Amino acid sequence: MGKITYKRLKGSQNMRQRLLLATLKSTPVLIEDIHADDTLPGLRPHEISLLRLFEKLTDDCLIEINETGTKLKYKPGIIVGGSHLVHDCGVSRAIGYFLEPLILLGLFARKTLVIILKGITNDSKDPSVDTFRSTTFPLLKRFGVPSEGLKLEIKSRGVSPHGGGEVHLTIPTVQHLTATMWTDEGMVKRIRGEAFTTRVSVQLGNEMIYAARGIFNRLLPDVYIASDYRKRSEAGNSSGYGISLVAETTSGCCISADTTVSYPRGDEEEDIEGEEKKELIPAADVGEKLASVLLEEIEKGGVVDSTHQGLLFLLCALCVNDVSKVRVGKLSPYGIETLREIRDFLDVQFVIKPDPSTGTVILKCWGSGMKNLSRKTT
Amino acid sequence: MAMDSGADGQSHKAHRSRHSGASAKKKTKARNKDQNSDQKQQNPKAFSFRSNAKAKRLQSRAVEKEQRRLHLPVIDRSYGELPPFVVVVQGPPQVGKSLLIKSLVKHYTKHNLPEVRGPITIVSGKQRRLQFVECPNDINGMIDAAKFADLALLLIDGSYGFEMETFEFLNILQVHGFPKVMGVLTHLDNFEDVKKLKKTKQRLRHRFWTEIYDGAKLFYLSGLIHGKYPKREVHNLARFISVMKFPPLSWRTSHPYILVDRFEDVTPPERVQMNSKCDRNVTLYGYLRGCNLKKGTKIHIAGVGDFSLAGVTGLSDPCPLPSAAKKKGLRDKEKLFYAPMSGLGDLLYDKDAVYININDHFVQYSKVDEMGGTTNKGNKRDVGEALVKSLQTIKNPIDEKLEKSKISLFSQNPNSSLEAEDHNRDSDEAPKLIRDIEPLKQYQSNGEEDESEFDLDSSESSDQDEGVPEVAMLKSEGRNFEEGNADASERLGRVKEQVEFHNGRKRRKAIFGDGVDHSNLKSTDEENEGDEDDDDDDDNDEGEDDRSNEDNESCSGSEFSDGDEEDLKSEEDGMGNISKWRASLVERASKKQNINLMQLVYGKSTSTSNTSANEVKDDSENEESDEDEFFKPKGQRAKNSIEGLDGGNINTEDCSKSTKFSELKNWKEEEVYESVRDRFVTGDWSKGALRNQMSEAKTEEDDMDGDFEDLETGEKYESHQKDDSSNGGIEKEDDDAIEERRLKKLALRAKFDAHYDGSESPEEETDKQNGGKFHHSQANDSGYYDKLKEEIELQKQINIAELEDLDETTRLEIEGFRTGMYLRLEVQDVPFEMIEYFDPCHPILVGGIGLGEENVGYMQTRLKRHRWHKKVLKTRDPIIVSIGWRRYQTTPVYAIEDQNGRHRMLKYTPEHMHCLAMFWGPLAPPKTGVLAVQNLSNNQAAFRIIATAYVLEFNHAARIVKKIKLVGYPCKIFKKTALIKDMFTSDLEVARFEGAAIRTVSGIRGQVKKAAKEEIGNQPKKKGGQAREGIARCTFEDRILMSDIVFLRAWTQVEVPQFYNPLTTSLQPRQKTWQGMKTVAELRREHNFPIPVNKDSLYKLIERKPRNFNPLVIPKPLQADLPFESKPKNIPHQKRPLLEDRRAVVMEPHERKVHALVQHLQLIRNDKMKKRKLKEEQKRKEVEAQRAKDEQVLRKRRREERQERYREQDKLKKKIRRHVEA
Repeated sequence: MGKITYKRLKGSQNMRQRLLLATLKSTPVLIEDIHADDTLPGLRPHEISLLRLFEKLTDDCLIEINETGTKLKYKPGIIVGGSHLVHDCGVSRAIGYFLEPLILLGLFARKTLVIILKGITNDSKDPSVDTFRSTTFPLLKRFGVPSEGLKLEIKSRGVSPHGGGEVHLTIPTVQHLTATMWTDEGMVKRIRGEAFTTRVSVQLGNEMIYAARGIFNRLLPDVYIASDYRKRSEAGNSSGYGISLVAETTSGCCISADTTVSYPRGDEEEDIEGEEKKELIPAADVGEKLASVLLEEIEKGGVVDSTHQGLLFLLCALCVNDVSKVRVGKLSPYGIETLREIRDFLDVQFVIKPDPSTGTVILKCWGSGMKNLSRKTT
Repeated sequence: MAMDSGADGQSHKAHRSRHSGASAKKKTKARNKDQNSDQKQQNPKAFSFRSNAKAKRLQSRAVEKEQRRLHLPVIDRSYGELPPFVVVVQGPPQVGKSLLIKSLVKHYTKHNLPEVRGPITIVSGKQRRLQFVECPNDINGMIDAAKFADLALLLIDGSYGFEMETFEFLNILQVHGFPKVMGVLTHLDNFEDVKKLKKTKQRLRHRFWTEIYDGAKLFYLSGLIHGKYPKREVHNLARFISVMKFPPLSWRTSHPYILVDRFEDVTPPERVQMNSKCDRNVTLYGYLRGCNLKKGTKIHIAGVGDFSLAGVTGLSDPCPLPSAAKKKGLRDKEKLFYAPMSGLGDLLYDKDAVYININDHFVQYSKVDEMGGTTNKGNKRDVGEALVKSLQTIKNPIDEKLEKSKISLFSQNPNSSLEAEDHNRDSDEAPKLIRDIEPLKQYQSNGEEDESEFDLDSSESSDQDEGVPEVAMLKSEGRNFEEGNADASERLGRVKEQVEFHNGRKRRKAIFGDGVDHSNLKSTDEENEGDEDDDDDDDNDEGEDDRSNEDNESCSGSEFSDGDEEDLKSEEDGMGNISKWRASLVERASKKQNINLMQLVYGKSTSTSNTSANEVKDDSENEESDEDEFFKPKGQRAKNSIEGLDGGNINTEDCSKSTKFSELKNWKEEEVYESVRDRFVTGDWSKGALRNQMSEAKTEEDDMDGDFEDLETGEKYESHQKDDSSNGGIEKEDDDAIEERRLKKLALRAKFDAHYDGSESPEEETDKQNGGKFHHSQANDSGYYDKLKEEIELQKQINIAELEDLDETTRLEIEGFRTGMYLRLEVQDVPFEMIEYFDPCHPILVGGIGLGEENVGYMQTRLKRHRWHKKVLKTRDPIIVSIGWRRYQTTPVYAIEDQNGRHRMLKYTPEHMHCLAMFWGPLAPPKTGVLAVQNLSNNQAAFRIIATAYVLEFNHAARIVKKIKLVGYPCKIFKKTALIKDMFTSDLEVARFEGAAIRTVSGIRGQVKKAAKEEIGNQPKKKGGQAREGIARCTFEDRILMSDIVFLRAWTQVEVPQFYNPLTTSLQPRQKTWQGMKTVAELRREHNFPIPVNKDSLYKLIERKPRNFNPLVIPKPLQADLPFESKPKNIPHQKRPLLEDRRAVVMEPHERKVHALVQHLQLIRNDKMKKRKLKEEQKRKEVEAQRAKDEQVLRKRRREERQERYREQDKLKKKIRRHVEA
């Protein structure tokens, strides 16, 4: 009882995966040197918010942070989940930042997770909520997550400086994840997307759509991009616009890309970081660029885009004791980091083989056999 | 059939029926006759249903039976050779357990076993090995034995009947998964009367059946011949064992475990000499069972505690199965046995030495010749022979030898060349001469270095085309010398890449310093990077510089793909010098394409031991220091751990999205967008399809022809570059086709197996749709069950196929040690008592701890008291539970779930019902069986198992409540409001209960409002005393009385004690009973304390006094409204009676006469009336009698009349009929 063995880690990198894996594996962790050498040392607001979220979802977890916030002790509890939960994600990072660990946490919870997340729905740094709906959920279905329970409703959108978005998320629980052999990337058969505008003219959205279509039309006729024009209460607190695109292939893979443009925040953070302010990009350019990004993702190959690599690896590693085999494009840095964290926490290693003819990488792993232990038996 | 026989390695000679001769004739005749008779006699309607309802009923019954037969198919994840099955022989003392094992061993191996100690492994058949274990007689040993038994032979003394041990063991088995059970009756020669024997057998059999299932196998051993069981019967028993199937048990298939059949102390002897009670290092040997064991797994040694593994090594199988040659039966040479603890064979492994036992007349020293090895090359040398030979060839004195060399016990070890000389281990194991069995794979840090070296070598050889082998060499050296540093530099490089992704993150820049403008070219940045790395590495030359750059590039892992190259090439023109430099770099990088990505991702030293080394025990002392550090100011702490900080890469922001808009290609250009044309459905489909398939074939090929080094022979195979995709295309297609066919075959086979095993569903179409989608198998027309089975089988095939691609070391990394391997586990810091009290008759069970099972918490279990345990169980009395691998003492709190889901505490378990038990302890996953025992001693309790349970869920907080009644008394009553005292102790408490429902004993309901104001309720204060707190103002639905008692019903949380005490039965003498926490009753008995009695709880006679109620008082206004009639009349109460009541009445003489006359007259009349009444009565009776008579007569007459009439009618009818017939 008195003896708790903490796993010692350093730095705030991969905080999400570390906390997530620590919770799933129920290993206490001790993280040191969190932004220790910065002018503003200690945990960032979004990291604290993340910890709060973990605390909300689990039962009897212990979080201890030292005065400066550079050291964190985390002893995970049992993942409970439950409905009627509300979490304010703050405005330092988008909801997508929280959603990524939240999805996996929800799958292994005791009760179905129903949560309202408030904050920034679309951001250029994190995958947008549209992407989660269009790409991440189909990805989860590959691993045996029932599709009926997965739900994400966007009540209102909020963009960068002041947020104000609201998202209702429902995640079912699973007994375990099933392994998958997913190497057939297929060919792109259709492209879908959604362009949204908050507190700006509809025209901007249409411009984005027009520009994006201009790129795709030479390759594929089946392109449909919806426009989502939000006003008043549904539009959050600040103005911006963005677009998210999904390419679906014949074998059911979804490859996505998204971005958002909003007026930069004028607070002190910007002053510290940079002397020149980020220029706002015209809407047509945004559409064009994002279309190019999507094409580049498609060119890279693989069954998921680079954004979802980490999640894919995590899912593979959390499977039952079977072999999973997936194909991805170039390994993204985030993906590599995730692989390392998986090795450290779950003791699962991947066999990574490049496939030079297509420039893709094939990964194989033997699942860790994670089971949802917190679910009650009758 | 041919395929099948090939797989099994066993071909049965087909039956040949006679075609000619007498017997053939007879048969054909009989068959003809049969057919003829069949045709004649068969009634087609005989076996069809006559009733519709019955048909339906029968059908539904058949379906039900079918459903009951089905079990959820379980995937069996043990691939390859199975570990020996454990046969546990259990029974009460003096029933013949050891003799049975001896007889069986004799039957299998033709060896006499002197005594049975520890597990005995034998090869029983071509496909099967068995491990015999005798179950110790104490309850702890029985519990452990039940956890590893695959088959339990329950020995029962037939002359005595069943004993409690048997039933206890059966119960334990049932809780822990219920492996196969077979009863064996012994001592049947004590019966002289055959009839009695038969009766007894029948009785015992039926009792046995009620306990297990109808038809459970009970075997009879008739008696002893020459002090042994009869050969024939042992043979039959062996047959039964050999055909037995062992279903997978869910706990065991999800946890690795080892039944230790060899156990040694490897503590350095000097440490033991210094302090004989120091913690020891031990090694445990045994077959791995259950599921695969990963290196990081923690283990639980039953009866000792939890440990982390210091080292795991796969050893060669000491008792291998015979090679799969086609032949019948086992050769004598293959009838191996292995029982180091029993002293079976020539080797006896004691605690700290190995003895070789050779009978004197067997000793024939062979000549020492140098050629011995070469001449004997053809046939493998025997183990013992090899050992002796190697002992003979000693040239150096023994101590010298100890320092330098090792003696290999198992000469079949293939890769002795790999074996590294590591001095640490040598020093550890120096005194034990023969323990240095060469590990097949050495997974300790030393071993890894060697491996990484090999890896590097191979990579180097693949890089030969490059023409810069020195670089690689340097690289490898660098890696080897400073592993940690290399890792750090790698990380540094990666961060650099991230800098580029996030285009304006100035924080990074501050870390790398140098004031280089960020808008400068990437290359210069990289050079700076390189310089920094050089500072780390200390050797400055060009190659090194290149190396670091390479590292940077390669560590990003993904940066080398065709797209990027093109990109760079297109930029080349504008960049001049730098671009040239870069071009060469890129070229080189592209050549290094097939560098091992795994190494890049996971680093060179692919050991997980670092992580475990990072872990720090946080026990009491450490906690303090830690605490200190935890709250130190930042600067001070930074000074302490300067060397720990190796770069700012540890605080990178985690974004899953990589945003780099700046490096986009211009997708409007035709050649650019045409390059991805084939990824779209508008493009070339065949090319797109090829892309998918090619890669698979390609990876296969990589495995086949990729550069690798044969570890066994030391040869190196180098791949010839095969990047010509156009050339290789056809080949690959061929490969692809082959691969596809192979998988199809496997799937087909799997399907066949699935069908063969169980249901006889109609044969379905066997062709698969597509090779790529073979896991979406079609099973539409067969049932769901078959589909499930098929899927499982397919998954298994896929797993095998995928895992077999990998080489042995990676496979170990990926899936851990496979089941069936013979492992050597090294465990450090084991209490010395384990060595001191080690008894080979008590087998050691080592179980792997699953995910989250080392944590402690509250467990909720559904528990039922055993029906044979005499008493109910009391809450918070310590019980000993066995969950999973563990046994520990804990204090449960019993509860029951109410209608509304509330868990209400129970003081005692219900008599015949399930209840919930909540206790604290190491967590076990839901659905795990739990067994509870209170008394461990062998002679006290009649039946030691007190309860069985299974885990429902685990929590960190126990939610059990009990009812609490707060009682108060009114101290002041207003109309419907009253002030209640003594219910609460403070105003704060009142505030907590505001709004709570309360009730008087008489049933008047009310509510707590607020704490009473001081002026109103607090008389003491008025009188100058202290204000009383905790007086509550309450309102009721009616006015209450001062005599009423008011109570508040509430629920309060019950604490479950956070106590658990692991049983350490292996750390004490076996005959001693383990003593843990005692129950209160035991303590009272010991110290002679009486049971405390609460006077208030005693039952007393209730005396109820008659109650006098006050008269009804009607309020005046109400009175005024009432009508006069209902108004209470205001009659004053008189003390003296009224005049009419008081005065006496005196009659006149005349009046008196009249009164007397009247009285006489009345008397006469009364008499008359009486007489008349009597007369009337008589008359009535007469009349009634007369009437009854008449009635009888009348009835008689009527009957006669009727008879007459019927006769007439009958006659008439007959007449008519006759007429008609006529």
